[in-house]
Order: sequence, then structure tokens, then C-alpha cells
Amino acid sequence: MSTTLSHPIRQALDKVALWARINSPWVVHFNSGSCNGCDIEILATLAPRWDLERFGVKLWGSPRHADILMCTGPVSRQARERLLRTYEQMPSPKFVIAVGSCGITGGAFRACYNIVGDIGDVIPVDVYIPGCPPRPEAIIDGVVQLLTKLKTGAAPKAALPGTARGPDAPPASGGAT
Amino acid sequence: MSDPTSILKPWSLSVSARGENRLDVEIAPSSLVSAVTEIKRARWGYLSAITGRDCTEADGGGSDGAVSAAAPAPLEILYHFSQGADVLTLRTKVPREGASIPSVCAVLPSAILQERELAETFGIRVIDIPQDERLLLSDDWPDGLYPMRKEHTSEKLREVVTGLTASASGAAAATAPSAVPLDVPRWKPGPAKPVEEKPGRFVIPIGPQHPALKEPAHFELVVDGEVVTDATLRLGYVHRGIEKAAESQTWVQNLYLMERICGICSHIHATAYALGVEKLAGITAPPRAQAIRLIFAEMERLHSHLLWLGVAAHQAGYDTLFMFSWRDRETIMDLLDALSGNRVNYSANLVGGVKYDIEPKQADGIRRGLDFIEPRLQHYLKIVTTDESFLRRTRGVGIFPKEQAEIMGVVGPTARASGVRRDLRVDAPYLGYREFPIVPVFDDACDLAARFVVRIKELFESCRIIRSALDRLPAGDLTVGVPRRIPEGEAISRVEAPRGELFYYLRSTGGAKPDRVKVRTPSLANWAYVLGVAVGHRLADIPMIVVGIDPCFSCNDRMIRVRRAGEERTMSWEDLRQYGIRFYGGNP
Repeated sequence: MSTTLSHPIRQALDKVALWARINSPWVVHFNSGSCNGCDIEILATLAPRWDLERFGVKLWGSPRHADILMCTGPVSRQARERLLRTYEQMPSPKFVIAVGSCGITGGAFRACYNIVGDIGDVIPVDVYIPGCPPRPEAIIDGVVQLLTKLKTGAAPKAALPGTARGPDAPPASGGAT
Repeated sequence: MSDPTSILKPWSLSVSARGENRLDVEIAPSSLVSAVTEIKRARWGYLSAITGRDCTEADGGGSDGAVSAAAPAPLEILYHFSQGADVLTLRTKVPREGASIPSVCAVLPSAILQERELAETFGIRVIDIPQDERLLLSDDWPDGLYPMRKEHTSEKLREVVTGLTASASGAAAATAPSAVPLDVPRWKPGPAKPVEEKPGRFVIPIGPQHPALKEPAHFELVVDGEVVTDATLRLGYVHRGIEKAAESQTWVQNLYLMERICGICSHIHATAYALGVEKLAGITAPPRAQAIRLIFAEMERLHSHLLWLGVAAHQAGYDTLFMFSWRDRETIMDLLDALSGNRVNYSANLVGGVKYDIEPKQADGIRRGLDFIEPRLQHYLKIVTTDESFLRRTRGVGIFPKEQAEIMGVVGPTARASGVRRDLRVDAPYLGYREFPIVPVFDDACDLAARFVVRIKELFESCRIIRSALDRLPAGDLTVGVPRRIPEGEAISRVEAPRGELFYYLRSTGGAKPDRVKVRTPSLANWAYVLGVAVGHRLADIPMIVVGIDPCFSCNDRMIRVRRAGEERTMSWEDLRQYGIRFYGGNP
């Protein structure tokens, strides 16, 4: 959705889109090797006690409709390609939140042979939420920080070279417009 | 019940009793199938776990063992059968080079996942195994590299694999470490299984990222109209390699690693491990510590089953129940938080005891929490037994007969809902379950509704036992001294996790680090049921059937990986990606 047009109508539309995005960010969740602790805490954050939905956040199944990718766990060898594909399927602009210690450094599984690294090694991460697992308050804080960032007009992090094939990457063979 | 020694007499090379409840029988690889057939015919127990072991002895207690060039150590395979508190272990050794073992799948179909695990992580060829696709290792794992053999430590292995896969893919060859040998061939997929093309018949791939479950798994369901005619499962997206990593950490460090096998049942994993290490060290945790472990374990069962109830209700399209049960679950989470300062990984266990005491004030808090939760459980029990729309999703769905459940070695609430009398808290009391006996809950209905009833009724028992443990909490110390070096030996530790029997096999060579840690989680034992039951059901029932066992991928994936993805497709991933870009109008 990178636009070089400065047409007034386009600008107005962008403003509306940003307003909508901040007030109702949809989240897709991906577990790339987590122990389940963070995943359950993410769910608990959406359940009645913490109710993340009051910020307009909705957990959604399809990456095609999502604004935020919430990742948990270190990245296992098998999940790496799937994580990339999930990320690529999201429409731009897209944002990534890495939840938990493993997503930041690999955590307790750093030395395991089937781990290729942390989330930041594979896709660009906008917000890290530390903790093993982070408490629901921390997850809410992380989401709010991302939304605050959006309000100030921050652009999503660029795709990492050699890993995520970003929106501007030339297609390998024709087809994309 | 017949004596296993006499059952196995024709084949046993040597018999040795290890401790009161264990019997080891050594047999030759060639007589394995006959021995297993005879055990099944005599109806002695069920297959709990298959453990592979590299007999290479590490030098100086470390596990960075260089294999001596003179005589390569053999590989040992252990088949653990359990019946009540008794464990019968069939041990057989195979040479390292060209290792092979006959498959027992023809006798015990439930062995297949474990045999495939054995084949891939130890490089033991399993003869006549019904499925030999790659199950464990990831798509780009180099062939001929067997992670559980002791050639490499976990860290070294990671380097080797990274180097090999990078150089194999070519694109990233520049960044690959140059010192890595490149002569290990890559695994190649066998001939693709032809899928019969027929009008109205489709293969539906689901996952690994999918909205139904919070953890990744890949299902491939062949449907004829609405009815499922074949189901295959691919796991492994969260495989990390914990068993291997455990070999390069100390006994105490591993406690925290084991706790992170699963974020839902973290306490019971650490408990099983701690009990095993204590058995090896010849110590027993003080009674007060045992009772506190029990209280934590039962509270974990409460929050785990409430979590499951919510997820299962969500699958049934009953989101109100999901929200209710998750709200009430927070009561338990608060109590765990108050006891340990942590909501999920409470880390209550130490080798030789527990970290946290329960003060009378905290005990009152727990009692108040239980006072709130019990009426709620009554309410849930009423819903799952009387709500007509809910019963239509559960009654008569996913029937798993008792006979089959017994033979397949299904464990936990899944087995108990099929009327199988199998609960380790009763059969082999550990912790304080002898002093605070539990009344197990069974149901003979064998369907999904029964699994709901069993799990909820179990929670009443949990509440009752927590109360009696709090009322009669033994006085005394929280820990006992533990030797720094754990004596040589091996131990089996079995506990009843929320999802069923959790099996730990630990082996020490007298060093600071374990020689082998084998974990068989309940979900692994229960997958056999899912794949067996799914066929013949309507597609819409599949999520409910899967969730019926309360699957936990992070547990069983610690050793499971998948068959090569994309082998049956004519489009490459890149083709698919380009297709997707075209389809969505250029927005990748």
C-alpha cells in the first residue's frame, strides 16, 4: 500500500484507514515453536478478565485480514517457512509483535538443535514483549505501545534482507502487478 | 494376571528386577515381535513408551562424547509396558552400523509414532513399518544425521545442520560455516502417494496456521462429500529438540527446561522429572513437600481442564461457555500467582523438595477460591449434560470403544471416558496420593459427551483432595539435601498429568549431566485414537474429535517432526506464492 500519490482524496483515504487501523487492529496468532505458555496467556488476555477486545483488538484466523502478527516461541526449523509465508500473506502495512522470552532470544530453547533463532531473525519485529510467559497486563501494554506508535505515524519495520520477501521485492517470475 | 517372567520365558536372554515395580527382560531383536505378541495375548498391560538409547559412554561425566573409533557402541531399544504400578521393559541391542529392528505395529498399531521417532532420531531402520515417510525431521534436515546419537552435542548439532542446510540451498552458501563436512546426503521424498481423483472427493489441507487450534499442526483430510474417508496428521512445527538439549545441561538446569516442555502442564513435567531424579539419587522429598506438590498438581488440573472446556466449547460454536470458563479459570490463576508469583511456569519444584510453602493465610485463600469454583463446575456439568444443542455436537460422536482404547494404550481422561480403569494416581500412587486417595471418575459412554463429563467430574475430586491436603498438611521441612552428582542408574517416573499418563525415563552415568532423558507425553499416546476415529465422521465433527483428547502439540512435538511438505503437489511453494500474489491483486 505504499503510495507516492499525493492526491487529496488519497490522503483523506489514508487518514481514514489509519484511524480504522488504530481503533480496530485485527490480530493473527502464530506459534512457531512455543511451549504454549504464551499462547494461553494471549488467549487469557482476550478472555473476559483482561478483555483486550475493548481496544478493538480481534483475534482473527486468516492472515489475509490481519494487521498484526502476534508470534510466540523460538522459530523451529520446520516452522520458519510457514512463519514467513504467514507474514507474507498479510496485507501491508503489517506489524509484528513477538511475545515472550523465546521470541526475543530463543529463551530456554536457544541451544536446541532444531531452533533456527528468534522471531527477529526471520521477520521484522515492531514490538517485543518480554516474560516467560508475559503477564496479560504486559501483553496489553505491548499492544497499546504499538497502537501509540501507529498514532505518531510510525511506519512498519522493513523486511529483513534475505528472509522476508517484502512487498517491494521483485517477483521471481511475472504475475504481480 | 500372569507373571511376565513366565510369559516371556521362551525368548528372554536375561531377567533382572530393578526395584519393586520394575522388571527388565533382555531379548534378541529377532524375537521382539513374538515376545510382544505374547504380551498382548496374555493381556499384560499396554505399551507405554519406546526409548532409544545410544550406549556410547561419555567421558568424564560430560555428554560431549567422542565415539571411540575402535568399537562403536551399540544402540539399545527399550519397550516399556505398563500395568498398574508395574513396568516391564523389553531391552534389545542392535549394532550401530546398519541398525534395524522389526516393527511391532502389526501387533500394536499405536506404536507407529514412536517407531518413526526412533527411526529418525537414532537411525534405526524399522522393518515393515506401515508408514515410513519423514515424520520427525524437518523438510531440510540432512539425511544420515541422527540427532539423538551421541556424535554431537545439541549446540554442535545445531551448527552442523545450519551449515549443511545453508550450503544445500545454495543461496545462502556464502554465510555457511566452511568447516562443516558436506558429504551428508539430503533426504529425498519417496514416490508421491497417488491421490485418487474422483468427482466430489477432495483432499482438504488444514494448517499449520489455522484458527481452530492455538498450536500448529497440519491435517490432511480426504473427504467424499461431507464424510471424511482418510485422515493424515503432520506434527512437528513446534519440535525443538529438548531431549537432546537435556543431555548437555546439568540435572538441576534441566528442571527448568522440562518445565518449559509445556506451558499448560508445566508443574507436572517438573514433578515427573524431579521424582525420577530423586529415585536415582535415592532420596525422598519430605512429606510436606510432597503434599504441596500435590496441591499444585491438582490446581494445575483445575486450570488445565477449565482451559480445555473453554476451547472445546469454542469448537462447538458455544463461545459463551468459552468466555465463562476462562473467566472462572482466572480464579485458579490468581491462586497460583499468589502461591508462587507466577501465573504459568510456577516453578514450585526443586530436586528434593519444593520452593514455596503454603501459609495458613494462603490456604484460606485457596479454600475461598474453591468455594467459588465448585458451584461453577456444577453449572458446567449441567450444561454439558442437558443443553440440547451442545449434546447434538457431542452425544454419540467420536465413539472409541473400550476394547480398542485399552489396546491402543490411550491414557488419561480420554481413556477413562471409554471406561478404561486407568489412573496412575490410584494405580501407582506417587506424591501424597496414598495419604490423600482420589476416587477416579469413569464413564462407559465412550463418546465425546463422556469426555466432557469425566473431565468436569474429575475437577470435583481435585477440589476435594486439595481441601483435605490443606487441612492435613504435614509439618516439616520443604527440602532434603541432594548429592551434586547423581549416582549411576536409570529410573522410570510415571505421573498422571491433566491429559493422562506422563512417562519419564532417566539414565545417569554418575556425572553432573543426564545420559538420557526420554519423555513420552500423554498427547502422543492419544493421537492414535484421533486418526482412528476421524474416518467416517462428518468434516464438521473433526475439530471436536481432535479437541476431545485435549491435544498438546508443544508436548509431543518435542520429538516429532513431519513428513516432507509439498511432495504431492505439482506447484512449488514459489509457484503457489506467485499464484497467491496474482489472486490477491499484487498484494503479497
